[in-house]
Amino acid sequence: MTQPLAVLLQCLLNVAIALLLSPLYEGLLRKVRAAIHSRIGPPVTQPYWDLLKLLGKEDLRSGGGAVYSSLPPLVLGSLLLLATLVPMGAAAPLAFAGDMIAVLYVAAMSSVLIMLNAYASGSPYASVGSSREMMMALSVEPILAIALVVGAFKAGTLALGGMTAFQVQNGPSISMTIAGLAFFLALQAQSGKLPFDTAEADQEIMGGPLVEQSGPRLALLRWAMWTKQLVLAFLLVEVFLPWPRFGILPVDLALSGVKVLVVLLVVELVDVVNPRVRIDQAMGYFVRVALASLSALAFAVIGK
Amino acid sequence: MSTEHEQILQAVRQVTAERSNGALLSATQPHADTLHFVVDKKAMRSVADGLFNQLHARFLISVGTDKRPLSGDFGILHVFSLDRDHVYVLLESPIAEDDLRVDSITPVVPGADWAEREFQDAIGVHPEGHPDPRRLLLPDDWPEGVHPLRRDFPYNFRPPAVENVRPKMRETPAGASVLPMGPFFPVLEEPAYWRLFVEGETIVGCDTRLFYNHRGIEKLGDSVLTYDQIPSLAERICGICGFIHSTCYCQAVEKAAGIQVPRRARYIRTIMLELERIHSHLLWLGIAGHIIGFETVLMQTWRIREPVMWLCETISGNRKTYGMNTIGGLRRDLPNDVRPELLSTLATIEKESIAVHNAIVGDSVLRARTEGVGVITSESARSVCVVGPPARASGVAIDARIDHPYAAYDEVPPRIVVQEAGDTWARVVVRVGELLESIRLVREALAALPGGPICAEINAGIPPDKVGVSVVEAPRGEAIHFVMTGGDNRPYRWRVRAPTYANLQALPAAVMHGTIADVPITLGSLDPCFSCTERVETIDRRTREVRVYSRAELLRMSRGNRLPGGAR
Repeated sequence: MTQPLAVLLQCLLNVAIALLLSPLYEGLLRKVRAAIHSRIGPPVTQPYWDLLKLLGKEDLRSGGGAVYSSLPPLVLGSLLLLATLVPMGAAAPLAFAGDMIAVLYVAAMSSVLIMLNAYASGSPYASVGSSREMMMALSVEPILAIALVVGAFKAGTLALGGMTAFQVQNGPSISMTIAGLAFFLALQAQSGKLPFDTAEADQEIMGGPLVEQSGPRLALLRWAMWTKQLVLAFLLVEVFLPWPRFGILPVDLALSGVKVLVVLLVVELVDVVNPRVRIDQAMGYFVRVALASLSALAFAVIGK
Repeated sequence: MSTEHEQILQAVRQVTAERSNGALLSATQPHADTLHFVVDKKAMRSVADGLFNQLHARFLISVGTDKRPLSGDFGILHVFSLDRDHVYVLLESPIAEDDLRVDSITPVVPGADWAEREFQDAIGVHPEGHPDPRRLLLPDDWPEGVHPLRRDFPYNFRPPAVENVRPKMRETPAGASVLPMGPFFPVLEEPAYWRLFVEGETIVGCDTRLFYNHRGIEKLGDSVLTYDQIPSLAERICGICGFIHSTCYCQAVEKAAGIQVPRRARYIRTIMLELERIHSHLLWLGIAGHIIGFETVLMQTWRIREPVMWLCETISGNRKTYGMNTIGGLRRDLPNDVRPELLSTLATIEKESIAVHNAIVGDSVLRARTEGVGVITSESARSVCVVGPPARASGVAIDARIDHPYAAYDEVPPRIVVQEAGDTWARVVVRVGELLESIRLVREALAALPGGPICAEINAGIPPDKVGVSVVEAPRGEAIHFVMTGGDNRPYRWRVRAPTYANLQALPAAVMHGTIADVPITLGSLDPCFSCTERVETIDRRTREVRVYSRAELLRMSRGNRLPGGAR
């Protein structure tokens, strides 16, 4: 097999995992949520049907312009690009094209695109939502950066694959554990879960950036959010919790998939037992998490 | 009557006489706990000032009545209450038809704001000096000078709509932008329109337009229905506190006519009222959780609430809208065999409510979201005349069950739950405390339930020209019904004030300088209850044709068989 074809196939694998499995994970999370609510809950396949239904619905538009009409596919696209930059069971297919710096940029890209889309819709709820989205991004992205920098420092490489390999070889360390925890706390906000879903906040600003989205556009944005939580959970699992590693792709992939499910279940549990905090409270919280995560860097410097 | 009670009445008489400065037209005492003063309208504001600011009476409601068929003029009547002393004070002025103006009392009694705007809309008496005399309850396209509560206005008359009108809203402050909330908004399931003036996320003011769904219930009561039919309508004023309104109406008529309700009926009313409070507070707790995104609280409290609904169904045949009240007592007895089910349900609810209470009190994030949020100060609560849990959470210890005992509350008195902070958290704590207290009250009333008849025999008719004021402590606060009896087997005037009417007026001050995120929970913490309709009316935009769908038609439509015609 020629090299480009192999890369292409790997990319397709990651994109397929992200696209096709993210609704399934969402469906499983909904079941857990329902159980805690004393409900039966919808069938696990419900998110697929939701997407199908939304895709077939009328596309009502509040605004015009190229920005407003082109952004939802780009949001989903940016997250699929992220999927190819993140290792899933094996080294990231596009690892040669982008290291952790690229990952951080692409992860931030989706937030920025959602904000732009919201501003273009012209709704006051959407603009309040996007200003909250921006504030959340500004306080949460640094935590992701710090956590990955710790990994890079330990492994001596900016490549995510290198970090995974280093972790597999050297086992857990204090600095990586702290960094992983910080990443996990940031994941709660990045996947738009309570108590940090202030940017959408249905009951306050009617879904914020999503308020003017309908039909296929809403479907793509929903899909993008489910993809985001899945891909970032994969990133967490692969970089900070890669053990055990067998070197056989299907086995490693399946194992990662299970670990991702566990991580997302914990995220969902936190979501279900918490009310929504205000944006100022959320920012204060993440500033403290960011400061605490700096200690991981200190441990990494002294080799722990 | 005790001498203490006599002294209070004497003090009220004295203040009224002094403040009216010779303009006192009459002073009567229709009931042991009610004083009725008629003063010249010149003295209205001064006397109201004396009652509210000197005697610290609480303002309840204004009643505007078209008395032209009786005495040739209009009547404006303000109802005050001396809560500690269990006394109502009615302050009335005749308003001549050729000079439909009266001094507004809002400058001295801020809580009279909406009440005065309402009688301006309803009967056309203008409150002079009112700080905000905009329309309150009439629709924006209602023509000027048409007042629906006048006697010569037929109940089914539809005046032609005025074209090209908009609600008169306040100017947006410089530098602020507008964030609309409603008339359709996720946590405001009922029609109300709030304009929040925001700078970034901070609220710098707000304006509101309500009464989109005004149903003209008072008009029906004094022109179409009879005394005996009104309880059914009163019960439908609210989908949650239905029994409260029918009880309150019946009590007002019973008081006006001097009907003694049998003791057993008073006890059963108490039990049903407290059951309503239990399920209403659980419902509220769930909604409050939902508002701040805490869906687990919503799901769990509503699961806990459900057995109460089944219990009410066992007792009355209906989950809600029991249809048990009638003037003089009840139409349906509490079956004796329901007792074991009632007690076991109460035990379960109590256990689960305590678990919810412990979970809530220990939740630091929940406290962070509600402490110091939406503060209503004690002064503000008193001046705007806030009622119920919001008042008690602001340190104003009023409770209609204690201040004006009705039903069997004189024999099974509740313990009042008071908090001082006035914030959303305090309102949560007050309601959870009341929930547990209500469970105790039902148990006590059930244990002491006497035998005997459930309805008084009413042989003579209900005499005309009598007044009766009745209050009932609804879960949301005090509901008031005022009845002036008429001659044709129906009230001449029936005035209803639901507790939300008083409490919503405190919202602008409570949300000021807060953030957008705090508005829904602050509003929710007042447990607002707007009007609800039980039928659907559609208007075809092209033909202006109005059509009312029946229940059967709606059922058929909901099952997928579209009806021909009508608006989509």
